[in-house]
Amino acid sequence: MTTRPVLDVQDYSLAYDTPEGEVMALKSVSLAIRPGETHALVGESGSGKSTLAWAIMRYLPDNARDVSGRIALSGEPLLGKTLPQMEALRGKRIAMVFQDPSSSLNPTMRMGEQIAEVLMRHRGMDKAAAWTEAEAALARTGIQRPAEMMQRFPHEASGGEKQRVVIATAFACNPELIIFDEPTTALDILTAQQILDLFLRLRQETGVAALYISHDLGLVARIADTVSVIHQGEIVESGPVHQVFRAPKDAYTRALMAAVPRPDERIAVPEPAPARPLLQVQGISVRYGADGWLTRLLGKESVPFYGARDVSFQVHPGELLGLVGASGSGKSTMAQVVSGLRDFTGTVQFGGRDFTARGDFDRAYRRDVQIVFQHPDSSLNPRQTIGTILSRPLRLYRLCPPAKVADRVRELLEMVLLPPEFASRYPHQLSGGQKQRVAIARAFAAEPRLVICDEITAALDVSVQAAVARLLTDLQRKSGAACLFITHDLNLIRQLAHRIAVMQRGQVVDSFDVADANSPDRHPYTRALLDAVPLAEEFQGVTA
Amino acid sequence: MRDFLRNPAGLVGLCLLSIVIGAALFGPWLAPYDPQQFHPKTRLQGPSWDFWLGTDQYGRDLLSRILNGAPSTVFFGIGSTALGVGVGSVIGVIAGVAGGRTDSVIMRVLDGLLAMPELLFTLLIVTFLGGGTTQAMLAVAVTFAPGMARIARSSVLSVRTREYVMAATARGESRAWIVGREVLPNALGPIIVEATIRVSFAIMIGATLGFLGLGAQPPSTEWGLMVAEARQFMFRNPWCVAVPGLAIAFTAMGFNLFGDALRDAFDPKRSR
Amino acid sequence: MTLAYLLRRLGAIVVVLAIVTVAVFGITMVLPGNAALMILGEHATPENLVAMERQLGLDRPVWVQYGTWVWGVLHGDFGMSLRLSLPVAQVVGEAFWNSAWLALMALAGVTVIAIPLGALAALKRGSVWDLVIGLFSYVGTAMPEFVTATLLLILFASPEWPVMPAGGYVAPSEDFLGFLRHAILPAGTLGLILMAHISRQVRSEMSEVLSSDYIRAARLKGLRGRRVVWRHALPNSLAPAVAVISLDVGYLLGGIIVVEEIFAWPGLGRTLIYALQNRDLPVIQAITLLLAVVYALSNLIADIIIAWLDPRVRHA
Repeated sequence: MTTRPVLDVQDYSLAYDTPEGEVMALKSVSLAIRPGETHALVGESGSGKSTLAWAIMRYLPDNARDVSGRIALSGEPLLGKTLPQMEALRGKRIAMVFQDPSSSLNPTMRMGEQIAEVLMRHRGMDKAAAWTEAEAALARTGIQRPAEMMQRFPHEASGGEKQRVVIATAFACNPELIIFDEPTTALDILTAQQILDLFLRLRQETGVAALYISHDLGLVARIADTVSVIHQGEIVESGPVHQVFRAPKDAYTRALMAAVPRPDERIAVPEPAPARPLLQVQGISVRYGADGWLTRLLGKESVPFYGARDVSFQVHPGELLGLVGASGSGKSTMAQVVSGLRDFTGTVQFGGRDFTARGDFDRAYRRDVQIVFQHPDSSLNPRQTIGTILSRPLRLYRLCPPAKVADRVRELLEMVLLPPEFASRYPHQLSGGQKQRVAIARAFAAEPRLVICDEITAALDVSVQAAVARLLTDLQRKSGAACLFITHDLNLIRQLAHRIAVMQRGQVVDSFDVADANSPDRHPYTRALLDAVPLAEEFQGVTA
Repeated sequence: MRDFLRNPAGLVGLCLLSIVIGAALFGPWLAPYDPQQFHPKTRLQGPSWDFWLGTDQYGRDLLSRILNGAPSTVFFGIGSTALGVGVGSVIGVIAGVAGGRTDSVIMRVLDGLLAMPELLFTLLIVTFLGGGTTQAMLAVAVTFAPGMARIARSSVLSVRTREYVMAATARGESRAWIVGREVLPNALGPIIVEATIRVSFAIMIGATLGFLGLGAQPPSTEWGLMVAEARQFMFRNPWCVAVPGLAIAFTAMGFNLFGDALRDAFDPKRSR
Repeated sequence: MTLAYLLRRLGAIVVVLAIVTVAVFGITMVLPGNAALMILGEHATPENLVAMERQLGLDRPVWVQYGTWVWGVLHGDFGMSLRLSLPVAQVVGEAFWNSAWLALMALAGVTVIAIPLGALAALKRGSVWDLVIGLFSYVGTAMPEFVTATLLLILFASPEWPVMPAGGYVAPSEDFLGFLRHAILPAGTLGLILMAHISRQVRSEMSEVLSSDYIRAARLKGLRGRRVVWRHALPNSLAPAVAVISLDVGYLLGGIIVVEEIFAWPGLGRTLIYALQNRDLPVIQAITLLLAVVYALSNLIADIIIAWLDPRVRHA
């Protein structure tokens, strides 16, 4: 164990000077990464994990200040380096892979040039040599026809292809250290899985040391050797992955781990007694975009795009149906159809009544079917107080006498575990999780028979996600409402749902009881989705 | 508001604007001389203790004339903008809310009107209505309406797809509620910002019309007209054109700076 | 950039111009005093007026008159000027080229100066450069053309220090240097205002690009500052800059009216003001339509340039 660490951060503190005074972003952070080691840095949004990455790269805003400590790359201190010295080092000895490949590639440059320019800069190659080498680098990432891909612009490639280009760029100069900043968060489950496999293979081939930043503990457990958990700018726990995850010492680490969804730990309401379906959607299709007259005039073959195609499923009273799929699979389109926000063809049957067009949904239906949206920041009107927002369904559906509205609003807030004085606040004064609770309270205020949840946990931090999910099933238990829960998170939905329907490219490809999730007769797509998110054994049985 | 005052451009704009509005409200009473009074012995003079900003070709005090012309200039800008923004916003909101065929017909017509350069459009209307302050004001208002309609429409459209509006639709709210309580209050920001900046355009166009002899008529103390009347004498006394010219520029700049600062304050992405 | 896209754009322009012809014709129809009155003067007898109206076809229904006018315009026939006894096409044609030279000079100067200024301000954000450029752009956009023109005249054309002529026109074929000398002040007036506006817009576009993820990525790849700016940032802020310039062509065409009047430049603007003062309807119609066509075409050219600069638009 005498090898010198590739990255050595010791007692490092960083502060931002703001008009409100000095804000400490990192407090006495220490971590070391040895050659070939993958060190994970785990934390929630705002924990300072990305700030540490910028500090290592010496890429900080003008108001940032190193307060104490040292950062060294293979023994060479980085803090005193000038900008030209850092420029010579970035991309050559420390490279970086970013979260969203769509925004980290230059939209007006061919992707080949974006790899080749690094080789020309750091390895002194001429243009021809750099392009040849870049092609080889791209081939190593498993791209089928690298030469052709290099001629493309970023918008002509898929998310996975773009991330491969970014990874090829990072590995191009054989750096000592690569910082991965949530490299799979912006990708679909299956693509993310492929990118992870690629990372593991390249790590093996090159022996590079990696700092892997993530909020996903399950993922970290599968790929990292060592881990540091960061909370409010401080590293609260660190050590070998298996040691930390098997016996977490810090309370925050324990809370984080307990929040990771575990499919076999059910938090669903008890299976409701068999009954006639509450909601039955039959043969629903949604078509986007009609051809303009000019396209028709030019005789272009019309290519209709279906948001949903001949979709059928049913939801029973009191049950929770999970609707799962990748982005663009049509699951949110179905949420919009059922909540009367989008035109469709087909039949929606609800409580024994048939609806065949959006205009047919009357107020009684709209009261019975409520929806909660994904983004807490935009689902509440910023110019209304929480009290006004919650009282709206009460007044609209005349659910209680005007004099009692204020009392009922207080009850609703209590129901979602928020203090009553929130009634006079505005949405921007609340955190994301609190806003989502208000949105849930608004849906349940109508005393609905069906609540549609469209990715309601996707925009929240892990620990908040778990609490919101628990709150939802709790309300379901009290009210007896059924729920259509739309998500891409398979581990979470297996905790919550009674049955799951899987959508792919606008169609339902599979539908099954949760207990049968691992049965061999699952659709191959379902199988692939499930295999992409295995849960490490460390997470079994950890509680806060 | 605190962010607003921290922004130096906003602060300068606010100061300029306070001076201009002050002059518009109290100018005629603050003026040291009668703006129409001739001083034959002191024609075309530079600044002095008697005449702080100099005198024009008839020996009239420039400071008094500027102060006297302030109300009409500022109220011309605000009045024509308010009228144009009002009409334009209503059209834009109707287009944005109605959508479909109504929207595309309205937008086509607006495109046609916007295909003419603003000043040209104003000139045509002024010629049709005849010269004069009221006519010029109407002309500027008519010119502004299509552009404002477009901005109001796009503002409404961007709000209409927010999730809280979708939530209201899913809830079965009436159209009046959705437009009046959910969409409009949130779509108003960009409209107000644009209106503030447009006041400066209105003032500039109004002055230009005055200058061309198509707006305010002599012996009015409208600033553009003052420049036009003194133009023959500009080489003998530059003050008599520079003073009203710069007065226009400062007023326009005040509204511009203030509008930009408002925009920054409204836009969460730009603040901080 | 597909053929369908181009056709669609051209189609949209045709629709817009059709609406413009209706608007122009409508406004000139309701202008007080018709062509017959213009030709015969104030002292015409009612009988003469009726005869003249019949001769000019003013007694026909409005839509027939409109149709005749549009039909003529499509064949390049804009009618006869009521005041100058010349075909409108001839009057407007000469003026058009004089204005075009002025506008192109202003536009070229602006493009060469304003884009680098805006980029500089964005790159040196918060520096003295940024402050000076910002101040210049705020003052510039707040000055109407007639104020700028008057101030420039005082500075450069006073009898004590006559560096530039105070107005007038020399044909470039006769004396090219003289032509340039006469064009500098009017073109400068037009350019100053555009420069102020465009440099500010370029600054804000450029700052947005500079704070984007892909510029951060480029810097973190260790690329030198120069390459980040010239190869990564600038091409991405050029397309929005072109969009701004194309919109500003509208201001330019309006400004040209005032500037030509002040500097006695025999272009479209001066002709238009003369026609407006004299109610020369066919000339007014022709110039308005022409300016609208120029504006529409310049927007189309801008769109083509943008598509050429930005592959995302090109492939859309």
